Formats: sequence, structure tokens, C-alpha cells
Amino acid sequence: MEFARWVLAPGKLVHDQVTSFWYRYLYFVGIRQQNDQLRQELDAAKDELSGLRENASEVERLRRLLSMTPPSEWTRQGARIISHRLGPNAALETFLIDKGSTSGVIVNTPVVSPEGVVGRVLRISPSAATILLITDPNSRIPVVSQKNRTQGILKGEGPNRELVLQYVPQGAPIEEGEILVTSGLEEIFPKGLPMARVTSIGRSGSSLFQLIYATPLFAPLQLEEVALIFKGTPVPQPVSALPAAADSAMTPVSPGASLAPGSKSGKHKTPAAIPPSPGQGAPVAPQPVPTPAAPQPAPTPAQPASPPAAKPGKHKAPAAAPAASTATPAPAPSVRSGDAASRGHGSATPADGTDTKKSRKSARPEGQ
Amino acid sequence: MRPGNIAFWAFFTAVGVWLQSVIPGVDFLAPGLILAMQEEKWTVPVWLGLVWLFIQEGTGSLAFGAGLLWYGTLAGLYFFGHWLFEARNFLFMFILGICLGSMHFLLINVMALLQDWTIPLERVLMESVFQALIFPVEWGLVYLIHHHLPDDAHAA
Repeated sequence: MEFARWVLAPGKLVHDQVTSFWYRYLYFVGIRQQNDQLRQELDAAKDELSGLRENASEVERLRRLLSMTPPSEWTRQGARIISHRLGPNAALETFLIDKGSTSGVIVNTPVVSPEGVVGRVLRISPSAATILLITDPNSRIPVVSQKNRTQGILKGEGPNRELVLQYVPQGAPIEEGEILVTSGLEEIFPKGLPMARVTSIGRSGSSLFQLIYATPLFAPLQLEEVALIFKGTPVPQPVSALPAAADSAMTPVSPGASLAPGSKSGKHKTPAAIPPSPGQGAPVAPQPVPTPAAPQPAPTPAQPASPPAAKPGKHKAPAAAPAASTATPAPAPSVRSGDAASRGHGSATPADGTDTKKSRKSARPEGQ
Repeated sequence: MRPGNIAFWAFFTAVGVWLQSVIPGVDFLAPGLILAMQEEKWTVPVWLGLVWLFIQEGTGSLAFGAGLLWYGTLAGLYFFGHWLFEARNFLFMFILGICLGSMHFLLINVMALLQDWTIPLERVLMESVFQALIFPVEWGLVYLIHHHLPDDAHAA
């Protein structure tokens, strides 16, 4: 046995070495074909891996977007960013998204990312909308500091620049690193959405106000998806109402218009303006809320034509418009009536569309 | 219009919109308007200008009228210029590009003033420079491509 082992073992070793040498260095039949096939498989696997990584990245982004819980009574709808500024007339810092009036988007719909507020809808078309970013110099949004509850107006300073927090008195408490959240005073954004982080606090000469800079919480160039948030459920505008929507889209509401509380629709803030069931124009019991402000002719000549007073009774509008109209000054009712019609009723009449358009136009000059 | 030309202008429009999203603030369709005025029947630039006008007005954020002024001025400059220069001269296109760049700066600022907007001047200035430089180069490229269309009279 020992003899056999000593005889066979070297022979086995030699056989293995020779076989290995033969297959590794001499016997190349079919190697090139196999090599080509393996290369193709490798390329296909690389493509698949790249696609899967992209999918994983998208899933992660969408998961973060979905993890953002909208405030109570608000609903969320995702949208993809198609483009940033587009064309020679793109003077403002804007995004173009793939959701429009047919998805229920209206002018001034808030737009958020998982990090915080991105902006609001500036113009709409049936299947696209332009978003005005908070970094635009024409964007001014009332905010409050999260910890010290100091109020101010957050103003954009342009691309790649920090935001400025205006009108904060010298003695008001505020800290570096503090998060600024929406105050909800402009009646567009829900209260408490994070917007920016304070980066520096200082003085500017003999000014009565502090010089405060803040950085936005989102990176504009890295955003691919955003979420639109709606009070209640977004109501797609019917095709017949689209011309009015498109018409209003031609008159972008100035960013600062949001600062005038009375100039915007009350549907975002007034609880009575929200239908109990956020259905698509679900018949809500028409509460006979008195509508004192609605029929008042607005001071501007463009608004008396709006028929908000007749609407609640005629179309059985939800309590939204009348109740909301009691809360704000005279110019607002026509706005609310139009918005409530376009939002709460799927079948907005042409008069409603006209109403909405006029009210938006009237709100325009204030904020700039 | 021949099918080849229709395909050409449709493709040109699509590519122009894509390029405009890549380099915002620059009009990539304007050289096409000049080329259409040079090479096509008068109805073609009218229709193309109308379509592009609505594209620019819709995608832009300025009030309606800016695009009208933009393309109106461009057409006016071309008609005025081709009395003085050879219309297909690159130098003429270069001058037209400079005029267009200046026009962009002026128009954006005037419209922003009228709309009471604040616009970052340095950005508009950069866009104007890009517009002035890109316009003649793009016109030259499109001119060459257009002349090599299969059913073009000038095609070799």
C-alpha cells in the first residue's frame, strides 16, 4: 500500500499538472467564442445592475417623499420635475412639473420635498405647472422660528444664495441653526412646514431689524420629485373649465401676493371651508351660513361682476365659500367663491372660471 | 412644404426645446426663424414663429407679450439688416446675435421692471452673452444641415 502510494502520487501530480497546462495554455478551442459570450453577459449584467441601482435610488427618494406626513386635513400628491428654468423668458427661479390642472393643481398650491418647502405653483396648464422656488428674489413667505417663535418674512436672494429673514426686530430672540417654519399667515402653506435653517445673525448699520441669513433645506439641483399638498382632496378641473384655468395661468400671481392675508382664498386655513368628506364635489349639506361679505361689490371695478352671492344657493355650494368669506375683508369673497367652485365642484361654470381669474388678477399687484 | 422639411422643423423644434432646458435663458429656436425666413416660403416662418411664440410664452415666466416683442424684434432686425448686408453672411448673423443678446438683456429688465420683479442682473448678463455667441454658431450648423436635406434644391 505504501509502495502504491509512493508510486501513484507523483504520477497523479504530474497528470494534474499536465492536464492543467494543456487546458490553460494549449487547448483554446472555443475560448474566443466563450470570451465574447461572457463579455456580453457581463455587459448585460452591468446594465441591469445600473438600472437596479437607479431603481433603488428612486425607491429611496420616493419612500422619503411618502414618509413626509402632510398636516391633518391636507393630502399629498407626488410630481416629477421635468425641467428647471426653460426658455429665454424664464426670468424667475422655477421648476416645471408634470402635474397640472387636470390633476387638481391650482395656482398657489404648496410644493414640498422631504426636507421642507420648495415653493408654490405659479402657473398651470392642463398637464404641467410652473413652481416658483423659495430661493427666487420675488418669493416672500412669512415664517416663524421653531424654537423661539420669532416671526419674520423669508425672502429669496437668487440661485446659490442664502435666504434672508426680514423684519425681525433687534431684540427678538433667534438662534443660529434654528429651523424656520411656515407661519401659515399667508393662507397658502399649512402652518409648521420646515423651510430653512438660520446660518448667521447680525446687525446692519442703524437698522431696526436684525440681519439674518438662512439656508434652504432642499438642494434645488438635486431634486427630482416633489409633493404637492392640497387642502382636502385635489379636484381635477373639467375640460370645460380648462380655458379659464389656462387664462389664469397667463397671469402669474406675484410671489408676494401671499403676504396679504385677505387677498388669498380662505380655503387653506378656515376649517369651515373644508368639506367634511373631501370627495370630488360630494354633496355637502348646504349650511345656511349667512353670506354678508360675498355680495359686497369689491372696491376694484373688476370684481363686482363676480356672482358669489347667488352661487351658494343656486349651486348648493358647500359651506366653504360663505363661511370663509366672513373671515376676511371685502376683496376676498370673490376669490374664495371661485376657488371653492373650482375645488369643491367638479363642474365649475364659466362664471366661476371668470370669477377665479379676476380674483387672481386682483391679488397680483399686492405682493411685489 | 415637403415631408423632409416638415420632419426637419419638427426635429429642430424638439431639439431646441431640449437645449433650452439644458441652457436656460437662451433661445435655441431663433436661428431657425431666421433660416426659415431665408430659405422657406413666407408662410413657413409665419407658422413656425407662431408655434415657437406660444412655446416660449408658455414655458417662460414673463407676462404675455415678451415673446411677441422678442420674435417681432428679431424679424424686424432681419428685414432691416438684409438691406444692408448679405443675408446669408456669417458676419451678419454675428451682428444679429449681438443684437439679440442685447435685446435679451433689455427685454428681461424692462419686463421685470413692468412686473415689479427683482432679477439677478449678472445671470441675465451671462444669458445675453450666451445668446449672442450661440446664435450665429447654431445658425451656421442648421444652415448646413438644411442644405443637405435629401430633397433640398441645394443638396449635393
